[in-house]
Amino acid sequence: MQACLSRFLIILLTAVCSWGAAASISPQSRQPNEELLVTDNEIGQYGGKIVTALRSEPKTLNPAIATDGPSREVIGRITADLIHINRASQQTEPAVAKSWKVSSDGLRYTLRLRKGLRFSDGLPCDADDVVFSFQVYLDEKAHSTQRDLLIVGGKPITIRKIDPLTVVFELSQPYAAAERLFDGFAILPKHILEKPYQEGRLAQVWGISSPAAEIVGLGPFRLKEYVPGQRMVLERNPYYWKADHKGQRLPYLDELVFLFVPSDDAQVIRFQAGDTDVLSRISAENYSVLEQQQQNRGFRLYDLGPGLEYNFLFFNLNTNLPKDSTIARKQGWFKDVRFRQAVSNAIDREGIVRLVYRGHGAPLWTDVTPAYKLWVNPAIPHPARSLEKSRELLKAAGFSWKSDGTLVDGSGDPVEFSIVTSASNAQRTQMATIIQDDLKQLGMRVQVVPLEFRAVLDRVFQTHDFEASVLALGGGDVDPNTKMNVLVSSGASHMWDLGESQPATPWEAEIDRLMKQQISTLKFTDRNRLYGRVQQLVYENLPLICIASPNILVGAKTTVGNFQPAILDHYTLWNVDQLFVHSPVKH
Amino acid sequence: MIKTRTISLPLLLLGFIHLMVLSAGFLAPYDYASQNRMLPFAPPTRIHFVDTHGEWHFRPFVYGLVDQPGNFGSYSEDLDHVYPLRFFVHGDEYKLIGSVTSHLHLLGVSEPGRIFLIGADGYGRDQFSRLLFGGRISLFSGLLAASLCLVVGSGFGVVAGFYGKWVDEVIMRLAELFLALPWLYLLFAVRAFLPLHITPTAAFLLLVMVIGLVGWARPARLVRGIVLSAKERNYVLAGRNFGASDLYLLRRHILPQTAGVVLTQAALLIPQYILAEVTLSFLGLGVGEPEPSWGNMLASLQQYHVLVSYWWMFIPGVALIPVFLSYFLLANALQKRIKLGLV
Amino acid sequence: MRYFLRRIVHGAFLLVGVSILSFVLMELAPGDFFAEMRLNPQLSAETLAGLRQQYGLDQPLPVRYLHWVQSVARGEFGFSFAYNTPVAPLLWSRAGNTLLLTVPAALFAWLIAVPIGVRSAARQGKWDDKIASAGVTALLATPELLLALGFLLIALRTGYLPTGGMSSTGFSGLSWWGKFKDVTAHLAIPVTVLTLGSLPILVRHVRATMLEVLQSPFINAARAHGISRRRLLFRHALPAALNPLISLFGFSIAGLLSASLLVEIVVSWPGLGPLLFEAILGRDLYVVIGAILFSTMFLVGGTLISDLLLLAADPRIRTP
Repeated sequence: MQACLSRFLIILLTAVCSWGAAASISPQSRQPNEELLVTDNEIGQYGGKIVTALRSEPKTLNPAIATDGPSREVIGRITADLIHINRASQQTEPAVAKSWKVSSDGLRYTLRLRKGLRFSDGLPCDADDVVFSFQVYLDEKAHSTQRDLLIVGGKPITIRKIDPLTVVFELSQPYAAAERLFDGFAILPKHILEKPYQEGRLAQVWGISSPAAEIVGLGPFRLKEYVPGQRMVLERNPYYWKADHKGQRLPYLDELVFLFVPSDDAQVIRFQAGDTDVLSRISAENYSVLEQQQQNRGFRLYDLGPGLEYNFLFFNLNTNLPKDSTIARKQGWFKDVRFRQAVSNAIDREGIVRLVYRGHGAPLWTDVTPAYKLWVNPAIPHPARSLEKSRELLKAAGFSWKSDGTLVDGSGDPVEFSIVTSASNAQRTQMATIIQDDLKQLGMRVQVVPLEFRAVLDRVFQTHDFEASVLALGGGDVDPNTKMNVLVSSGASHMWDLGESQPATPWEAEIDRLMKQQISTLKFTDRNRLYGRVQQLVYENLPLICIASPNILVGAKTTVGNFQPAILDHYTLWNVDQLFVHSPVKH
Repeated sequence: MIKTRTISLPLLLLGFIHLMVLSAGFLAPYDYASQNRMLPFAPPTRIHFVDTHGEWHFRPFVYGLVDQPGNFGSYSEDLDHVYPLRFFVHGDEYKLIGSVTSHLHLLGVSEPGRIFLIGADGYGRDQFSRLLFGGRISLFSGLLAASLCLVVGSGFGVVAGFYGKWVDEVIMRLAELFLALPWLYLLFAVRAFLPLHITPTAAFLLLVMVIGLVGWARPARLVRGIVLSAKERNYVLAGRNFGASDLYLLRRHILPQTAGVVLTQAALLIPQYILAEVTLSFLGLGVGEPEPSWGNMLASLQQYHVLVSYWWMFIPGVALIPVFLSYFLLANALQKRIKLGLV
Repeated sequence: MRYFLRRIVHGAFLLVGVSILSFVLMELAPGDFFAEMRLNPQLSAETLAGLRQQYGLDQPLPVRYLHWVQSVARGEFGFSFAYNTPVAPLLWSRAGNTLLLTVPAALFAWLIAVPIGVRSAARQGKWDDKIASAGVTALLATPELLLALGFLLIALRTGYLPTGGMSSTGFSGLSWWGKFKDVTAHLAIPVTVLTLGSLPILVRHVRATMLEVLQSPFINAARAHGISRRRLLFRHALPAALNPLISLFGFSIAGLLSASLLVEIVVSWPGLGPLLFEAILGRDLYVVIGAILFSTMFLVGGTLISDLLLLAADPRIRTP
């Protein structure tokens, strides 16, 4: 009887303990041969979770094919790259690669990996996985969206394994800031993905409904649970290769929860209610509403200044449209640089920053926002709004005004065009409405057409069936290389004139030349000079009429420790492995 | 005894409201699109009679508005700048009839003062002016759509009832089909699948057509019922014997019978169609910027910060209540009169 | 029985007709459904080709329609380009959410409307009838949109009720009772708005019907016999008023899937309404058609049920 009871108690106790242990994964104790990256952050406490929100559900967790924001947000937390850009300092630092050497001609990068690396399933990671990962990214048939980034000088980068801890990357020509290239290329587990890759079905694996055990990476967290329509829960990766300077393996948090909250406003409401701990990218209007409640609601708001995003108006300058279409006729106006300059001079940028961003933004005259501290060309003027100047320019371009104020071109046709913009983005629609009113004062009749975002993309990138559009681009990094796709004539984001292998105008040819030159110029001062000239050309010729850049606005509960928001993506969770909760809740 | 008051009161109210929106140009202090970028979401302007010294003024006045530094969207009165309210002032240009324009407005204040009777929206546009101009679109799209619907529906109903047999069968089956479709869903689908890339006037007409045509089935059935029973009346049969043509019979005897039903349907449909326009514009499928409609004026309330901070943005929705009330009372009164055989 | 079968067949024909009509209407749409698919990186070339073949997307309209009918027979109801799944599971889950909203609203509306309507009719002209009528008229004149926005504002200000969505964080971690409470809290605003929205019409009809019945000869006769007021009302008048009420009930059922479109969008309730709206904006063809068909099924079903109930309740109809 005693024995039965005690045995029962032991079983009960074991069950309780294992249930308790199963509730949160503890970090693995350090192995003797492991080379951990030691961080210098403030020491935190283990335990607790952080809840944040995503605008929509991730479409996939496959790093090779993910393109949308939410997917990349989650993938960024469960994977790691070789060399990482520290979002606070904006400099590169070692990550999965412990160190690297660059050859004197800048063509060979030798990276040394950490010893004892393990994936989130406990299996080891070495050079084979690195080579496999880049093989996937470079494979044309795998259609990885990041492949283009690995093409330098027209040729793809090659990778070779030297020994289980060393790999060599070779470029065909020197590439400025090549180290920054590695940020964002997740190292994939060969032992899991090789088979699907060889069978040609790599794009179909690691969808969001895949079992959590299959999705394996080097990031601070790994997938725990996915509830469709509600949330995705990540749990600590017990084999993560970073530790704080007291030797405690990171991350501190037990869990990271992503709630699916479809709208900005709903996210703000949940944050106010305390449902979420961190709020990324608050819109300016909601920031003002939250500002008034900061003190008594236990959270803090941060205005980090202008980010990398730039909003712009551009016209359809595509050269391959049918000659007799309405758009082709209007291109007669759009293609005249004086017309574009007149439009630019008429836009009330200050008013837009005021009304759309509530003052939490910066007006722009080129696509280089103040965040690009090292690259901004100070010689570029920032002219105030001037309708007289616009009228002069229009007159010089052969336009005139009817008695009722309507602007007409040389053949007497009234100047009318439409601006397409994404219906779901209230801010850009507002900008378009303000521009509509501004241009009305020049006698132009502008129509604002809000369309569903995909419809806008389709018109701009596929059918070229649009007249003007207000869009925004965000840089991924504070480096001009990220603008290649936009500024170079053959680039995929050269949206005012797509599909050109050759530049259509002399100034575009000049920009092409300068951009291609700066990308292989290793010396910073030379690059700066080249890129400064590019900015000048963009300012004078206005392929993109830049309008404004929003400040990065974020918020977090005061209980979140080590919160260091930055203006580079991911603004709030880039250092999630170092975040902790001040009074953790034990499961 | 049905008092004529029950019809004339709502009619009077409706007439008054419609007259107000038709005279929008004159009654509104500003043009519906003129923006005041320094005054987004300005609250309704307070009208004062007593100044800071405690003196009473016969002519009311308003103060200038200045925004509080650091607190975007909060305004305080600038007591140094006084703007007396004037009547019959010269203001923004507007169209009277055709191409005849005028600059005369009922009230206004001298520049740079502003009088926002019910506040301003996110671009600093006067909501009162937009309410009046927007009323034109919302109220008249309901009217026009209902008229279209009744004309088309009655047409089908008359044809079906009068000619009977297979014509009736076909039309009634078609009507059943349209009645089976959830009306709002169909409206959305049809509207959203039509081109979005059109001028505001074309959009308005398209909207009216779509709203009106989607609902033809119900009036068609009701009219058909009337026509069917009217067809068999003695005087109609007698008239036919005398050699009266179909058209004559329709015009002289049958159609007048439908008047009651048509009028009641009108009073029921118009508010429904006004609501349809408001719903479509609210969701962005109706009238576009900068043309106002009571629907797209309410759309900004979908944004959290507007919903909690700027109560005057609700007013276009509240404005619908007297309109609907009047139409409802009208429909009520008409129904009672029909029952008593007075119509 | 035969009547029943005939109505079912009739309903089926109606559904077919509606589906054809929807297809034809969508055909009028400019814009290319291919665009949606091309832009979705998830869809590999093989998948695209497979879809194209399966749904005959580059074939003429009748062929596409047939393919879609086959898909319906398979239970898929077509393919959603935006969600990258067959349409049916989407529709079922969203329709379920909508019903979760509209069924309680309809129930409440009826439970409140019938007593008020009956009492108003019984005490016609007296002060409580006047007050009820005035209240109902005021409600009738208030658009549902305004009610929804207004309640949302109140909820935001007081912080009592959750605003938007169907469930809170950590929902799956709650007990059954906790889950029930959570969903109920989220239901509060939309159900209130829908109930208030449908209340006026119901009350008016109940009242009008009861009034008519109360003035009919047989009631007068019963009254002359000295039957008590209460017995008169419930035992004699109400059953006679049943017919038009049953038709009304049919309308209530008919509107179960479609009446809440706007309210769902305003409070972000994940029902059929927002799905349709998204699909319309995103040109997700088969979802639009599927949603329309689903709600039509309810409409047709509603009228069928009310006709059957009428048949059961009113012996006069049964005799040919």
